Amino acid sequence: MISAENSWIVAWGEAFGLPEGVPHWIYSAAALIFIFCFVIVPCGGLMSYFERKLSADLQARVGPNRAGPAGILQPIADLLKLLQKEARSEWNWKESLWLSVHTMALFSTLAVLPLGSMALLVNTEMSVFLPFWSALVLALGTMLLGLSQNSVPGWFGGIRVAAQTLAGSFPALISLLCTGVRSGSFRWSALAESQGFSPWDWTVVANPFQLVAFCVFVVSGLVLLAIAPLDGGLSMSDIHGGVSSHLYGMRLSLFRFGRFYGFFFWSVITVVLFLGAWDLPSQLVIPLRMGGAGRLLAFIELAWLLIKTFALMLLIIWIAKVNSRSRVDQITDFAWKVLSPFSLAALVGASLCAGWRAF
Amino acid sequence: MNDSNGEVLRTDLTSWTIGPYHGSLPAPMKLCLSLDGEIITDCEVETGFLHRGLEKACELHSWKATVAYADHLDPECAVFGELVLCLAVEQLAEIEVPLRAQCIRVVLAELARISGHLSFMVRMAKAVGSETIIHYLLRDREKILDLFELLTGARFSLNFLRYGGVSADVTDGFIERVLEVCELIRIRMKEYNDLFTFNFGFLKRTSEVAAISKNLVSHCGMTGPNARASGVSIDVRKVFPYSGYDRIDFEIPLGHGEGGVVGDVHDRFLIRLREITQSMEILKQLLDVVPAGDYMSTKCDQTSVIPPGESYVRIESSRGLLGCHVVSDGRNSPSRVQFRTPTVANLLAIPQIVRGIRIEDLPVVLASLDLGIAEADR
Amino acid sequence: MTAFPYLLRWGDLRKEVTEGYPDPISSKTADDLPTRSRGLLFNEIDRCTGCKACEEVCPCHCIRVEEQPGPDPSKSWVTVFDVDFSRCIFCGLCVEVCQPGSLVHTRQYEGAAYDVSDLVASFGRGPVTDEQRTKWALRRKLGESDGALK
Repeated sequence: MISAENSWIVAWGEAFGLPEGVPHWIYSAAALIFIFCFVIVPCGGLMSYFERKLSADLQARVGPNRAGPAGILQPIADLLKLLQKEARSEWNWKESLWLSVHTMALFSTLAVLPLGSMALLVNTEMSVFLPFWSALVLALGTMLLGLSQNSVPGWFGGIRVAAQTLAGSFPALISLLCTGVRSGSFRWSALAESQGFSPWDWTVVANPFQLVAFCVFVVSGLVLLAIAPLDGGLSMSDIHGGVSSHLYGMRLSLFRFGRFYGFFFWSVITVVLFLGAWDLPSQLVIPLRMGGAGRLLAFIELAWLLIKTFALMLLIIWIAKVNSRSRVDQITDFAWKVLSPFSLAALVGASLCAGWRAF
Repeated sequence: MNDSNGEVLRTDLTSWTIGPYHGSLPAPMKLCLSLDGEIITDCEVETGFLHRGLEKACELHSWKATVAYADHLDPECAVFGELVLCLAVEQLAEIEVPLRAQCIRVVLAELARISGHLSFMVRMAKAVGSETIIHYLLRDREKILDLFELLTGARFSLNFLRYGGVSADVTDGFIERVLEVCELIRIRMKEYNDLFTFNFGFLKRTSEVAAISKNLVSHCGMTGPNARASGVSIDVRKVFPYSGYDRIDFEIPLGHGEGGVVGDVHDRFLIRLREITQSMEILKQLLDVVPAGDYMSTKCDQTSVIPPGESYVRIESSRGLLGCHVVSDGRNSPSRVQFRTPTVANLLAIPQIVRGIRIEDLPVVLASLDLGIAEADR
Repeated sequence: MTAFPYLLRWGDLRKEVTEGYPDPISSKTADDLPTRSRGLLFNEIDRCTGCKACEEVCPCHCIRVEEQPGPDPSKSWVTVFDVDFSRCIFCGLCVEVCQPGSLVHTRQYEGAAYDVSDLVASFGRGPVTDEQRTKWALRRKLGESDGALK
């Protein structure tokens, strides 16, 4: 399943001192670890810092300002503090099992995460749909994690998350199809190539139906992964954060990071599908590619993609901070009764537009 | 499954005991819920976790120290406890309170009402999970607490009122600062409306949830904003005016059912918002003409013994009708002090109104009742 | 959902309001508090008459006063004057009843301590020594003889 464009991995492998002739699976494993350690984890830290600063600004507060200049080291301080937490004496093997299943399901999506034209590990017709598989396993993992905790918050939290995921995945899948209709393929590379650097070339503005599809996709992603403000399953006020109420220390940080990663990968996919992916102006790309500065190009593409992703995430966080949390039954109602019809209408409309263009 | 008594064991129900300490509860109390899925079918309320023996403690201390105890009846808006005790003792001892002292008392009471309603809105925002507004509300309540500190020296337990007046005159610039704060809150009102009243998400959470009927209001003896939200027009400030409320021109807002049903959570929220506006009107009227004179009754000597007898006085606190029954047998300390607190009635209503709502709404409903467990448990 | 036009620190009314924990440079100190602030209690023991009015009025029994006859018959020698801040509710009644005005509220508010016993502030002069007693007796005798001379 490794795409042909994995030459950059080989190059990195050489940079790390891997001898030539090493099988491809070692390269890809190294690449996954590399992406996890040097892209995802710093993004998590940065994002938690941005989130706290943004909400502080919104709330007429100062926000973190003690750790490092302007509090930039706060995420590290938080992590160290969580790691210091004393372990609870009893060992709940079921909880550990489901937490590890949940975490593995989540991070398996790293393989399909599109991070630039040269960083596509799995680039097939199916690759867009693979994250859904992980999201469903994730929901199952969260539900069983909650059920294994022997506490009311865990039960309700787990079941609410599962209900939300089921409700959210249908509109999300349908609106996903809209983009494929436009680009003619579900390969990441094809999806990216159908768009351009300028906002007017993005899928989201291609026609009104794509705009509807974009909105549906973003909102149903929030429903699917239970991200604030549609996070009734993790509601703090009645069930103490649901599944996370019984996690502590290392496990809590793992769970929290998993939630962040879910949010992050959903935003990355949204950007790739609708918001112009990693496309840079061709005046910039061609000289770099010709000049053999592929690594620099990959870096710039990644940075551009991440900037757009962060902007989208911060927008959602802004909305979440200001608005109240919705109730689970209202969320699932909304997903089935509002989002689903809109996504179907968008699919029909987008198909008609695509057909019109083909003639 | 029928046993001889004809009772059916409902195996489809879950039972869940919340409390005494839980995030969805406004204060220590215990709720025993029966759940059908996520829907509450039955609820039992147990209180008494915050019992401090306040009324008994009053009997063990001198008359003077009793005010400091009445302060802690409801730590959130301490003025009302002091005011009701002072009024009761003044009625008993037939002490005339100077107009200026009455005016200062009403200013403090209305400020306390605003701050009480602001903290009600904080709990409401917390229950529906909108973080940002909590900070705005607390920021504005801070201004009122600063005013308290300027006038009395303390932020929560003021201990400022005395039998026959108040313990000190207003400081320089206090009146101007009160008006400034009123103006500030008037500006902020627009923000609160944007964030709460017209916010779709907030409306979704609050409208048509846990409506209280007029019948239930009279059945449980509910008073204050909760009763007015259901359309029952009772306000002690109008019915039994005290401390010069009869000289002030103000209206009592009532719930109209903007959220769909009269007396639902949204009505109970809106009524507080309107009462803040109303309190600011009262403050402005009062501060336009602050009567000159003493801040303390000259006839009243603080060491004097209260004559034997008993009296009962009621005032409108931020939560409802607050009554105080004082019995004196002519000794140095009261022989009985008894409080009638509005929260007890609200607690009685909980089992009735939470039936049929979802667990997620429970914190919202509890917050909307503005429960002051401290004053209920005493 | 309402599009919420909250602006990032636009205008005076929307500034950050957080104040750091009082440090002398950036924010409020004890001196900025209103004059009536009821902070930790302080007793100027030289003016204290040992009348015990504060002890009687205190609603939480946090003041303990013990006195012995002093050099001056109108004023007693305060051996113990302990204020237990772990019980004090800062109601200010003791300051109000203090006739000589020796007991005052300072504007200090930093009352944290590592040990509960550290929260007791002692202002007493300690028990009267025999040496002092003989000195006072001598002085009183001298005073009487002076009066007799006059």
